[in-house]
Amino acid sequence: MTTLSENGKIDIAFTLNGQPVSRATTTSRTLSDLLRDDMDLKGTRVACGRTVCGACSVLVDGFPRAACSTFAFEVEGRSVTTIEGLEAEDGTLDPVQAAFAKKSAFQCGYCTSGMILLARALLAEHQRPDRETIREWISSNICRCTGYQLIIEAVEEAAETMAGKEAAE
Amino acid sequence: MNDQAPLRVIGAEIERSDAHVKVTGRARYSYDAARPGMLHAKVLRSTRAHAKVLRVDASAARAMPGVHAVLTGVDLADVPMPVYGYFIKDQPILATDRVRYEGDMVAAVAAETEGQANAALARIVVEYEDLPALPDMEAALAEDAPELFEEAPIGIVPPYGAGSSGALRPRRNVCYSYAYETGDPSVFDECDHVFEDEFRFSRMHHLHLEPFVCLAHWKEGDEIELTTSCQNPFPLRKEIARIFRVPESRIAVHVPFVGGGFGSKNNCKTEPIALMLSRRTGRPVRFCLTMEEGFLTNTQHAAILRLKTGVMADGTLVARQSHVLLDSGAYSDASPLVAEKAGYRVAGPYRYKHISSVCDCVMTNQPPAGPFRGFGGTQATWASDSQIDMIARRLGIDPMEMRMKNLVDLHEPWVPGESGVDSDMREGLDLVAREVGYDRPREANRGVGLSIGFKDGGGVNKPAQARVKVSTNGDVHLMCGTVEIGQGARTALSQVVAEVMDCPLARVEYLPLDTRYTPFDQGTNASSGISVMGQAVERAARSVRQQVLQMAAEELGTEPDKLRLDNWTVIHGNESHALAPMIMGRYGGTGFEFTGDGFHKQPNDHHAPLETKSVFWEIGWAGVDLSVDPETGQVFIHKLVVSGDAGRAIHKLVCRGQDEGAALMGLGQALYERMIHDGTRLVNGEALMYRVPLAEDLPEVFEAITQEQGHGPGPFGAKGMGEGAMLPVASAVANAIEEAVGVRLTELPLTPERVLSALVEAGKA
Repeated sequence: MTTLSENGKIDIAFTLNGQPVSRATTTSRTLSDLLRDDMDLKGTRVACGRTVCGACSVLVDGFPRAACSTFAFEVEGRSVTTIEGLEAEDGTLDPVQAAFAKKSAFQCGYCTSGMILLARALLAEHQRPDRETIREWISSNICRCTGYQLIIEAVEEAAETMAGKEAAE
Repeated sequence: MNDQAPLRVIGAEIERSDAHVKVTGRARYSYDAARPGMLHAKVLRSTRAHAKVLRVDASAARAMPGVHAVLTGVDLADVPMPVYGYFIKDQPILATDRVRYEGDMVAAVAAETEGQANAALARIVVEYEDLPALPDMEAALAEDAPELFEEAPIGIVPPYGAGSSGALRPRRNVCYSYAYETGDPSVFDECDHVFEDEFRFSRMHHLHLEPFVCLAHWKEGDEIELTTSCQNPFPLRKEIARIFRVPESRIAVHVPFVGGGFGSKNNCKTEPIALMLSRRTGRPVRFCLTMEEGFLTNTQHAAILRLKTGVMADGTLVARQSHVLLDSGAYSDASPLVAEKAGYRVAGPYRYKHISSVCDCVMTNQPPAGPFRGFGGTQATWASDSQIDMIARRLGIDPMEMRMKNLVDLHEPWVPGESGVDSDMREGLDLVAREVGYDRPREANRGVGLSIGFKDGGGVNKPAQARVKVSTNGDVHLMCGTVEIGQGARTALSQVVAEVMDCPLARVEYLPLDTRYTPFDQGTNASSGISVMGQAVERAARSVRQQVLQMAAEELGTEPDKLRLDNWTVIHGNESHALAPMIMGRYGGTGFEFTGDGFHKQPNDHHAPLETKSVFWEIGWAGVDLSVDPETGQVFIHKLVVSGDAGRAIHKLVCRGQDEGAALMGLGQALYERMIHDGTRLVNGEALMYRVPLAEDLPEVFEAITQEQGHGPGPFGAKGMGEGAMLPVASAVANAIEEAVGVRLTELPLTPERVLSALVEAGKA
């Protein structure tokens, strides 16, 4: 339950990378500042600061959101996944992370957290997306380095890995 | 390794050494740097394009909550030399008496938060007296134009070799001019045809995702600690030392991962203001620009290029005279260096009897232009290789055939005194033409265009030093000043060391860059990571290897050449000896460290036009298959094939990624990406309005082919990568448009409006 006190102070509670958390913050605090500065989760990158480039994408209830332009209080009661939440406890990489590593689907790495989370959301929606669907989805984020091809191939590779795992289970 | 053994690490399918930290979010950038007690800086920017600054009243700002310091132009009186720039020191840390573009920095605040700093800036009152503004090069070169710098700033002309020259302020509003000439101009008289054409090149912003950002701490006792998103930390250190008159030995510049630069993150950007504020407050100061401010900080050069080319009726090129104008904006930044390269490269990769080029840096009231991937080569190729195609069509010769006829041969010096071209350019052209379907019959309104981009690579007069250390247990430390900016330098240079030391890549640690301990390097630029630093790194590793084998040979009573290394054991015939016990036996139980230093620099050579022969030649080939809709002017790219010659691909996916990224940047430049100005005001200087290529803009088919022709000067035959594939894309697209619909566009970008009006003009729409 959100409680708003005077001076724009606000207490929020949400699920972060699978764990319940609560924080005292302010009504003007952005989700990216909350994550990066107050919780030291610096894997969420900030670039344009206005919802355009997608570098700061995190998942809110499974859907990509620009953390730079989301107020912290907006995630009250919701589930937030950041890049830090993708690895298994034993350090095993998520299939999307593993595919990005294997395909060198990054260069400077500044868009990578957002791209990987975006791809997670895509693969939750479409188990075996075709190339057109992948292009369309990742067109919401800017990568200035790679030319996108290797990112698309990494997403295809991750889809294959995940489908293979599912078939084995 | 011995020279006959197959390579184990070079070219292997292995993950980049920064893969894990980058896919898990653990990689740290200057943007992430923080320190207890840190303040935040923000600057007030000029709203006028050209004006006298009559008064700056910051008193109200000083009283605002959270504010610790406010700087205005008058505070520069405390700074020994408060201006910067490469050849010409013309950019003040803050404007003093004049502002020269909308966005020029006028005042700075350090406060507890960025919000407080911005609130304080809003309280600063600046009184201006407008002066006539010069929005573009035509205005700046007009006879009645005001001189933007009334007095000559301090500047230098570097030493040049045969045929090259430079001049400071040769005429009104030109801060620098470079000229190159070879051969006798009278050969124009022998030509069957002489063609003159003019080309225009629009300006892009780098749009690196990590902003310009630094964390500066001016500590007690004048010790400076600087973490910054910078491509050239050692030249930056030198500039900071000069500005503030501080010994370089008291300046530590740290550069963690850099989130993209594409040339922009060079020389002083945020650093001097952050340092001044830190000195004033005694606190660490973080100064981070927004992406919007990035547009106002550094850009590519817009250009006008006039080419006059003499040719025989059979298509043999004879002579080319070029005049290039670069819009340098309000301050010179790296413009003289870019002029050198645009002027030098504009003749293209062809054989001429006479070349004469002049490139002028024109000062305007626009944001300062500086280095941008391709470094003048992009502008040069756009004009050069468009005109070659135009000439071929005018003469009724197949454009590919015309190129084949005139390309400089493998190993042939491009111009007198230069190094031999180290790629077979015909082989590459053939490959790309085949791949794009150059000879296939085509439907109406569909065309295929080819182009070759070409630049001297590896930088001019560029020294690089590296150090490799191996400790008792075989842990390898690589220390060198190449910044990991995304290009894969950490991986590739570590691979070179691992190959030489016969150890797995994971054994090599690329140590953090700190200018106090890292060996000197001139900078991460000019595709020099493998071609120049790679040679220094390889030498350092070979030195260590030799020392280890020498030691082992003495211990085993044999000769070093009877031994080889294998993952920190030494192999002697059928015997294998662990090195750690051997080292401790010799040097004591605490062990030892073998250290090797490597150095590389092209020798100075007055016969070479740029004082040193080009380290290598970076060639980019492109083939484009496209359709034009004659009703809308829309261009649809069916297939884009680009190729670079890596010499030897140290890491294949990294090479491919470099070429694909460069080519897509080139395609954006060809079709739509540009900074748009209304007079002196930038109208699309933010992420939403400034269109960069997205995944949806990818061509239907997009291929990057890495050639490994094997002639490079770098380790194992490698050459530099990363810029070449950007160079030929725009000209290939324009060439394909002419093939498709018979109209020639000479101004970038090739927007539907421009294509359509060309069609209308030609009566084809």
